Amino acid sequence: MNLEQLKQDAKAALEDGRATLVIGFRDRASECVPAFVASADQADALTYDDTCIANTAAYLRKPEVRERRPVALVARPEVMRSLVLLKAENQLTDDDVLVLAVGGDTYHGVLTLSDVEALLNEQYAELAPEAETLAEIERLEAMTAEERAAFWAEQLAKCTRCYACRAACPMCYCERCIVERNVPQWISTAAREHGNYAWNVIRAFHLAGRCTECGACEAACPQGIPLMLLNSLVAREVRDTYGSRPGYDAEAEPVIGSWNKEDGEDFIR
Amino acid sequence: MTQASAKPDADTDTDVAQEEWTPRIVAFVCNWCTYAGADLAGTSRLQYAPNVRIIKLPCTGRIDPMFILKAFEQGADAVLVSGCHPGDCHYTSGNYHARRRWGLFRRLLEFTGIDARRLFFSWVSAAEGQKFADLINQITDEVRQAGPFDATNPARKRL
Repeated sequence: MNLEQLKQDAKAALEDGRATLVIGFRDRASECVPAFVASADQADALTYDDTCIANTAAYLRKPEVRERRPVALVARPEVMRSLVLLKAENQLTDDDVLVLAVGGDTYHGVLTLSDVEALLNEQYAELAPEAETLAEIERLEAMTAEERAAFWAEQLAKCTRCYACRAACPMCYCERCIVERNVPQWISTAAREHGNYAWNVIRAFHLAGRCTECGACEAACPQGIPLMLLNSLVAREVRDTYGSRPGYDAEAEPVIGSWNKEDGEDFIR
Repeated sequence: MTQASAKPDADTDTDVAQEEWTPRIVAFVCNWCTYAGADLAGTSRLQYAPNVRIIKLPCTGRIDPMFILKAFEQGADAVLVSGCHPGDCHYTSGNYHARRRWGLFRRLLEFTGIDARRLFFSWVSAAEGQKFADLINQITDEVRQAGPFDATNPARKRL
C-alpha cells in the first residue's frame, strides 16, 4: 500500500486547512493504535495495516473531535460504510469529513463522502464477514435451542458491562443509551450477570440494518465475547429478508423505521 | 380436585413453588384490535385458557423489543404479540413497523437460545373474539408441550 502517499495527503490536508485533525493509526510497541494527528509535522507517525481494526468513525461523536470538524479519517471499506450511514442518519454532512480511503493493499487517496459512496458501490459492493464467523453462525444454528442457550449463557457470563463494544461503534451515538435509562430501568446495571443477556441482545438489535460488520466491537471486547456472531446474524437477516445493504446509499431508508406492504409474515398467525 | 387433596397447601402463598407448573404467557396487545377482540371473547362468554396475562398498549408499533426481553427475564414461559391486521392499524402503519421489527428480532432471540416455540405473533381484529380464544388455547397447549422456560437460560434473571 502506498503509505507515503497517505502521509503526504494527511500532511497536505492539515497544512491547507481542509482538515484540522487526522484520525488514523500509529505503531505502539508493534501494535496498531488510533492516532490523532493535529499538525503536519506529526503526520509521519501514521501507519496502516490489516491489524488496524478500530473504527475511526466512532471518534466523530466525541465533542472534542466534533468541534474540530472538518476531520480527516483513515478509513477501510467497512468504516466508509459507517460514514455513509452516519450521513444517512443526518449525523454527518459532506463538509464534516475527508476520507483517506484504504482498501486491502490499495490506497484510494483523499475522498469526500460522495466519492466514498461511489467507490464503495464500484469496488466494495460485495463485502463479506469473515468466513470463520459465518461458519460459527451455521454451527450454532444447527444446534437445538437448549444448546444455543448454553453456549450464550457461557459467553455472556463473561461480560463485565464495560461497554467497550458501545464505545468502539460509530453507530452507538445515542446521547442517552437504553442501558443508562433508569426510569424505568430496562436493563439491570448491577455488577452481576443479570442484565448481560438483555444488554448484548438489545445492542445487536439496535444495530439492525446499521451494522457494517467492521468488527471493532468484538476487537474491543476485553472478555473475548464473539459479538460478531450476533451482529452478522442480524446483518444476514437484514440482507436476506429485507434486501438492505446498509452503508451503500446515503438516501436509503433505515430498515427498522420503514416498512413495506409486502414484508413477509409467515411467522404471524 | 384429586390434586388439591393430594397437596392440601397448594393454594397458600408459601407453597407456590410446589404447585403444578402451568404456562405463564405474557401477551402484548394493541388497544384497538386485539384487546377489543379479547374483550369480545369475554363478553361472548367464550372460554379460553387462563394462562395469558394481557398487557394493553396503544399499538403494536409501541411494543419495544425490551418488553419481550423483560417478560422472559421475569419468568414468562412464552410471549405473544398481537395487533391489527395489515391495513387496519388505527395509526395507519404501526403494525407494519412492528411486523418488520419482529421479523428480525425473533431471529435474534432464536439464535441466542429462546426457542421459537415460545414466541408468538398474531393479527386479531376487534371482531375476532373466537380467533382470540382459539389462539390462546392453542398457544397454551404448545407452551405446555414445550415445558417451563429453563431457569438456566441466559434470558432469565440471573443473580
